[in-house]
Amino acid sequence: MNEQALITDAQGGNLDAFNTLVLHYQDSVFNTALRILGDEDQAADASQEAFISAFKSITSFRGGSFKAWLMRTVTNACYDELRRQKRRPTTPLEPDTDDGEEMDSPRWLADPNMTPAQQAEADEVEHAIQHCLNNLPLEFKTVVVMADIQGMDYTEVAASIRVPLGTIKSRLARARLRLRECLQGFAELLPASYRLTTDITQ
Amino acid sequence: MNERDLELLSSYLDGQLTPSDSARLESRLKSDGGLASTLDDLRAARTLLRQLPKRRAPRNFTLTRKMVGLNPPLPRSYPAFRFATVLATLLFFFTFGVNTLAPQLVQVPLFGMGGGAPDEPELFSAQAPALESAAATEAPAATEAPLESASDLAPLPTAMPPSADSARAVETPMTKVGEAENAGAADQPQVASEAPRPAPVIPSMWQSAFAVVAILGASLMALLRRSASNRWK
Repeated sequence: MNEQALITDAQGGNLDAFNTLVLHYQDSVFNTALRILGDEDQAADASQEAFISAFKSITSFRGGSFKAWLMRTVTNACYDELRRQKRRPTTPLEPDTDDGEEMDSPRWLADPNMTPAQQAEADEVEHAIQHCLNNLPLEFKTVVVMADIQGMDYTEVAASIRVPLGTIKSRLARARLRLRECLQGFAELLPASYRLTTDITQ
Repeated sequence: MNERDLELLSSYLDGQLTPSDSARLESRLKSDGGLASTLDDLRAARTLLRQLPKRRAPRNFTLTRKMVGLNPPLPRSYPAFRFATVLATLLFFFTFGVNTLAPQLVQVPLFGMGGGAPDEPELFSAQAPALESAAATEAPAATEAPLESASDLAPLPTAMPPSADSARAVETPMTKVGEAENAGAADQPQVASEAPRPAPVIPSMWQSAFAVVAILGASLMALLRRSASNRWK
């Protein structure tokens, strides 16, 4: 696949050329959206929106890493989706008491440990990691998804989310630390070779 | 563990440190068990993330032309047809407007020029037949004086042959005056019975031509669009 030729054709309005790029990148785009949003349906919608938006603005691509440019588009689509969810939440922000009234304190929300029911559901490593990813702040999650899941290098990630390289390094380190804290709770799920060695609470 | 060390370890894992920084950190790792343990944990977390199963996209995200609002490519001659159609349409309405409004605009100065009652019959005679007949149905008292003076100025020609029109003219004094004036001015008894209809400023042949061009152009544009979208499918 001659990526540059396809991009040039797509910039000239050739939809078939763009669709060839879509087929090449759609799994990466979908996985990025899935890890950021944590929901398959929402990730599929965000991916479709991202490709539509990418085609409409492909003339603004001025060279460099096309994958990084595409990842910026999909992260923007994910941010839009998350903003939409915030505006129209589908579940109450605070749980109801037995009397049907909202609990005064949302401390349950800050609890990093899953409830027993959630624990039972997260019986696979993937679910555990996704759970930990979902607990990360959005800016950390985006960086760790791009760098560690998509395997992009620091400069690509920096170009993709338009922040300085130093910020990428800092966010990535803190994201990994938080993931490490979270994954401590799933030690029994992890393969022996990946068991975490440090008790960070000490 | 301070943030600086954490950042160093993370960058070291990804091979992002300079050789000198790497060497310095490696010497610290040998002596600091906690630092080495944290490095192992970060490495394990990173490996887990990298080994997350790659999901396949649940469907193809290829785009259709409808999704991105693309229109089929039209032939190069299309803008010329569009221009001609728009121009012909505008000209058609312009000529239509000119032909409709021009006679009325010509009459406007007549109101100001005479200024008195004696000119009123002359004014009536120049107007459209519909207006003339409407005026004729008005009360005779209102038009009596001007009629008399008008008949003095332009007496009926004695040579005018009797006809149905002239018979009708006798019934209403108003039409009588108008026809008398027309007959006197043009000296043509055959035309005298008909209301004067000014010739259009722009010949109707031009109007027809503009209308034909506009209709043909619009039809051609529709055909071109349809054939282009059929070709695209």
